[in-house]
Amino acid sequence: MNVITTKGVEKIYNPDKIPVKALNGVDLDIEEGEFTAIVGPSGSGKTTLLNIIGGLDRPTAGAVEVGGQDISELSDNQLIDFRKEHIGFVFQAYNLIPVLTASENVEFVMLLQNQSKEKRDARVKELMEAVGLEEKMDKRPSELSGGQQQRVAVARALASKPTFVLADEPTANLDSSSTANLLDIMARLNKEENITFIFSTHDQRVIDRARRVVTLVDGQIATDERR
Amino acid sequence: MIPILAWRNIWRSPTRSLVVIMAVALGIWAALSLSGFATGMMKSYVNNAIENSVAHIQIHQAEFLDEYKVEFHLADAGKVEQEVRNVEGVKALSVRSVSSAMIASSKGARGVMVKGIIPEDERMVSTLSEKIVEGDYLSNKGKNSILISRELADKLQVKMRSKIVLTFQNLDNEITSAAFRVTGVFDTGNTPYDQGHVFVRRPDLNRLLTGEVTTAELAHEVAILVNDIESIEAVAKELQEALPALKVQTYREVSPDLELYETQMQSVSMIYLVVIMLALVFGIINTMLMAVLERVKELGMLMAIGMNKLKVFGMILLEAVLLGVVATPIGLLLGYATITYVKNNGLDMSAYSSSLKNYGMAEIIYFDIDPSVYWQASLMVFITALIAAIYPALKAIRLRPVEALRSL
Ligand SMILES: Nc1ncnc2c1ncn2[C@@H]1O[C@H](COP(=O)(O)OP(=O)(O)OP(=O)(O)O)[C@@H](O)[C@H]1O
Ligand SMILES: [Mg+2]
Repeated sequence: MNVITTKGVEKIYNPDKIPVKALNGVDLDIEEGEFTAIVGPSGSGKTTLLNIIGGLDRPTAGAVEVGGQDISELSDNQLIDFRKEHIGFVFQAYNLIPVLTASENVEFVMLLQNQSKEKRDARVKELMEAVGLEEKMDKRPSELSGGQQQRVAVARALASKPTFVLADEPTANLDSSSTANLLDIMARLNKEENITFIFSTHDQRVIDRARRVVTLVDGQIATDERR
Repeated sequence: MIPILAWRNIWRSPTRSLVVIMAVALGIWAALSLSGFATGMMKSYVNNAIENSVAHIQIHQAEFLDEYKVEFHLADAGKVEQEVRNVEGVKALSVRSVSSAMIASSKGARGVMVKGIIPEDERMVSTLSEKIVEGDYLSNKGKNSILISRELADKLQVKMRSKIVLTFQNLDNEITSAAFRVTGVFDTGNTPYDQGHVFVRRPDLNRLLTGEVTTAELAHEVAILVNDIESIEAVAKELQEALPALKVQTYREVSPDLELYETQMQSVSMIYLVVIMLALVFGIINTMLMAVLERVKELGMLMAIGMNKLKVFGMILLEAVLLGVVATPIGLLLGYATITYVKNNGLDMSAYSSSLKNYGMAEIIYFDIDPSVYWQASLMVFITALIAAIYPALKAIRLRPVEALRSL
């Protein structure tokens, strides 16, 4: 079953001034449970594609369907709710709310979803264990290493039980052991809980772990390889 | 969670938050103190007027109020006095005869109100007897003693024991004059009042007004003090019922300026509050705008992961309100302490008293405040914080997550 389908997605930045064609007709199907890396040279449109799939930005042309729903029909406010319910985000940086502890950060999205206290507590514990940070529940982000922060971000992204998780260069700021550790966690969650991951990266070690690699060049899919 | 988030957010920049908290607290303090000063001044003015002459309630023949003519006297002063004494709540009363007159010395002449009083009765109603600065309080049993003010004595260039001449119309509409000897000088501190009033003993004045020797009964005015200031209206009503032919007035009706002054003070307090809060609006806008702008990425992330605009908007408003919530008790406490202190100890304004005296003000101001000003101030802070946070909050929700996350 496809969780994401893009059809002829184009994105032109600055259409009035100096137009930049960041995406030039992207047709992509992502199936449930896939572990997909979007790769390509800098400026090839990886971030743009992830933003559009994640409902953070709108395509200039083409359609994006998530779980059969055309998200271009949603208003800005509906998109916020849509993201809350269906998408987990892991950004390159600034993922966590600095004034909240690690466990509060994970709990936050569930609070936005009005989940009950028991459900939240159980899920926070489960996820903090899954990312190996049950000892760091009450630490603020500033007290955690970059790798630990990204693991909390992964836990946070999963807390809402999203349809899929988007991660734009999640390891860009991490050293190699933290990178390996984060990838282990993501791969395990993908395998054990069948969570769909889509992440962009430049890092060959990360690319090697992916089970599907989509290569973008100049806003178009150049290769799409399943392993 | 959002309240917790808002609360922790305001302590991310403790110095900046404390500065705005102190500004709001000082604003509340200043508004309360100014209000305390204004109300204290008003009360002192009103009390001075009440104590010096007006008393709480006055009774006249209605026509006398339109035209100060001798003939509009209380028909039977003795009976009126008896009726008044029978009304519950009346503490003291003074029956006066009143006439406008020309007062003249060899150096000048002026128009004044002459009040004929029984000194012992008047002592119970007004503080005139305490305001004697020279001589005595009409204690001389000899004929035609007069008590004039320091101001008037200076204007007329007369001293103690000087003779001055009073000229007025008597009951038969004839002009009569008589010489009086200055046996006392008073100073109430209220220049306009002092310049316009002189006091003689009632029998002396009545004899001249009627041409008869034993006419202690003639009177135009009854000045009354009540036991409980809150019961003025009730006592006045009862007096009016007991004396339907006469006009009973509270001090507010006797001196409409006092009533005006009282109501104005309430608006003045409000105006102080509004002006100060207006100034604070800009401080809060500035603080909250900084708080939003330095958190652009984070706000973008919050909206990306599903925090909707209403919640973001509410969070920013709440942060501003929480700043106010911290500041308000501090400001109220400072204000309360200041007002209580000056209420008990007074603020010596004698450095400015010559100008104050011209307006009938006391030299020492005792702060006072209508307790409702406290909650008005709290409410205003709340509203101010809300209003001031609207613009920064709008800025926050206008952020687009992609751009916010991309921005450096
Ligand atoms: N907001 C924007 N306004 C104008 N042009 C933009 C904007 N965002 C991206 N672009 C341009 O669109 C193209 C694709 O950018 P994008 O960020 O998607 O690339 P990327 O593959 O993520 O690159 P990188 O590997 O460096 O992160 C680039 O040429 C970029 O300069
Ligand atoms: Mg990118």
